[in-house]
Amino acid sequence: MPISTTTPRVLRATGLLAIAGLVATGCAKSKSDSAPKGAVKVAINLTDDGCKPSPASVPAGPVTFQVKNVSANKVTEAELLNGDTIMGEKENLTPGLSGTFSLRLNGGKYQVYCPNAKTEKTDFTVTGSSATPSQDPAVKAALTQATTGYQAYVIAEVDKLVPATKQFTDAVRAGDMDKAKAAFAQARYYYEEVEPVAESFGDLDPDIDARVDDVDDQSKWTGFHRLEKALWQDKSLTGMSPVADKLDADVAKLKTLVATTTYQPAQLANGATELLDEVASSKVTGEEDRYSHTDLSDFEANVSGAQKAFDLLKPALDKTDAALSTTVNTQFAAVLAALQPYKQGNGYVDYSTVGDDKRRVLTQKVDALAEPLSQVAAKVNG
Amino acid sequence: MSRPGTSTASGPASGTSRRGLLALGGAALAGTAAVGLAGCSDDDKPAKAAAPADRVPFYGTHQAGIATPAQDRLAFATYDLTVSGTVAENRAALRQLLQQWTAAAAAMTQGKTVPGDNDNPAAPPADTGEAYGLSPANLTITLGLGGSLFDKRFGLAGKRPAALADLPKLPPENLDPERSGGDLAIQACADDPIVAFHVIRNLARIGRGTVVMRWSQLGFGNATGNGGGKETPRNLMGFKDGTRNIPGDDTSLMDGHVWVGDETDQPWMRGGSYLVARRIRMRIEAWDRDFLQDQENVFGRAKYTGAPLTGAKETDQPDFAKKAAGGDPVIPADAHIRLAAHENNGGVRILRRGYSFTDGIVPATGELDAGLFFIAYQKDPRTQFIALQRKLGAHDALNEYIQHVGSGLFACPPGARAAGTGWAQELLA
Repeated sequence: MPISTTTPRVLRATGLLAIAGLVATGCAKSKSDSAPKGAVKVAINLTDDGCKPSPASVPAGPVTFQVKNVSANKVTEAELLNGDTIMGEKENLTPGLSGTFSLRLNGGKYQVYCPNAKTEKTDFTVTGSSATPSQDPAVKAALTQATTGYQAYVIAEVDKLVPATKQFTDAVRAGDMDKAKAAFAQARYYYEEVEPVAESFGDLDPDIDARVDDVDDQSKWTGFHRLEKALWQDKSLTGMSPVADKLDADVAKLKTLVATTTYQPAQLANGATELLDEVASSKVTGEEDRYSHTDLSDFEANVSGAQKAFDLLKPALDKTDAALSTTVNTQFAAVLAALQPYKQGNGYVDYSTVGDDKRRVLTQKVDALAEPLSQVAAKVNG
Repeated sequence: MSRPGTSTASGPASGTSRRGLLALGGAALAGTAAVGLAGCSDDDKPAKAAAPADRVPFYGTHQAGIATPAQDRLAFATYDLTVSGTVAENRAALRQLLQQWTAAAAAMTQGKTVPGDNDNPAAPPADTGEAYGLSPANLTITLGLGGSLFDKRFGLAGKRPAALADLPKLPPENLDPERSGGDLAIQACADDPIVAFHVIRNLARIGRGTVVMRWSQLGFGNATGNGGGKETPRNLMGFKDGTRNIPGDDTSLMDGHVWVGDETDQPWMRGGSYLVARRIRMRIEAWDRDFLQDQENVFGRAKYTGAPLTGAKETDQPDFAKKAAGGDPVIPADAHIRLAAHENNGGVRILRRGYSFTDGIVPATGELDAGLFFIAYQKDPRTQFIALQRKLGAHDALNEYIQHVGSGLFACPPGARAAGTGWAQELLA
């Protein structure tokens, strides 16, 4: 997981849920952040006292938040929360800066959250329900199947994650290094398949999957990679039981959250692209599992999670852009074929044995898949 | 040394100031050199004011970027095809790629974004955007085809021109395979570095899944002049480079030495040219401690005026026969300009279009990784570049201070004639 402490929220903003009807602000034609046509504008002025949205209630549909910091020194960001989920945000707004983020919002109760203010959370209400863009009924039906299918998939994989994690943490608590090592990659596999979903739940992903570079205070580092370091580098599990306990608790929390989480078609597509970005940025480089060198297992899990999302979208995409569908399908096959030579037993070879020239080829295959995959969201968006 | 538009002279610096400084001591000389080099940089672009046009036509008989007066900046990249289908499939993929590239190149050279949807909020924009709103800055995009393209994958073996034979080993060279070769090459030149970089990045993106970038090189300072009314620039050794180059607007020299004509064994190359690229690292640290007279003897020219050692101003014809009092030739036997001069090579000439480069330091030594990214165009490298380089490689005094570390030879097909046509269409028909 590439989240670093300095910019975790930037990455999370590009995460799965934040993309709900997300409007790119970095469009080539925009000199400034551009709002979608017909979007309702909501002003948020950051002050040290708080961040009241104006107006405090808007009708469902596209909404553009215009965040401005005139002189607040303690507060530099605003997020829109739906329960614990970050829907969208603008950060790093030091005094004098402003920025926007845009979302398509359904009716409901939300909160504008600005960390470090005197009043951190202010209610924000969306009324009515968002008009679904007009769409071919067959496509619409296929997309509904895709999103419900994805929900079921996430629930199923997290259901496997819980016992697989427990097998790992039990071995840690028992001080059984060999058993723990053997269970590590399998537990991670289920997590890596659905990681973009986990990333949408605030601190849950950092707690489960932060790497050493992601945490300021090493004593508060938790999750898989903390235990990985204990096993492969420190070669001691002393003091690791509380970390194991917390990992179980965090995974249980994830299970509770995904039980009620629903998805939009574009989220599936963008989440799939994001999984491949993860592969290219942290698996191929060997940064993810730097002590155990089990990166290729995570690699396969990311690709598998992405492929699941794509496969679910494919019936709809076949109707909206058959050529793109074929291209993505072909490139998925090419990536999986590229992994084949590294299979060993139930898993993969130690990644430290894979040379730079071979890693380069893996990256190129992933890029060749991710590029067309990044075009899918707009085609299933209605 | 100034760019056209700021100086009254577009030819060699004539000047009292230059002469006056030459009469002074070493410190002042160093100052002159510094001024000259600063003038080479395009950080301030006075040329803009004087040049009304900022775009070079894309379509035409020949590809732009060869005869075109050299722009300030270069972004060069080579790409390898990754196709693995049947010959017919591979060829279709190549044809489609080149059509997409041609359309994108035509748009970019005219200051437009890469074709496609740039406004859909839910999709990544077709254009990456970093050149949005910028002048095209005389951008030219030139395609070359490497010898490796003419193999079984595309069924093109029978269409490989004889002139595209692999370059032989040309000692003293020390080529890095990771900076050499490639199925396709793109030379993007513009007066703005971001406009040039934008090209190789977006073409890579368009080709994702069909090509991968093999290596790339950024260049600056238009190190080799090729006419166009621009003052001859200097290379990183501080010497004017390109004084006797083929001016791109001399059609007779271009037809005689650069453009492929009826002599070719492959009709699809008529109107094209052959590009030789050589990454030439300069041993900067050693060069900088060489004394001035020796530096001038190595080149055969005066450092500041650019005049041949037998003349007074840059454009004076070198007198290779002239002897000094002791009987030695004034322009030494191993001087670079003597060995490279067309008079001494049976009339052989090439059009050079090189750029300076620096890529940080050489890890092993901590010395600057900098030099000249040499680019030359010609009708037939076998009788032109290869012949010249064999001679230079064997005798050039400059060899003590340079090393060829990267290499590429590419066949640049003729220009795409009009909108809707693609690069190398005739080859792939």
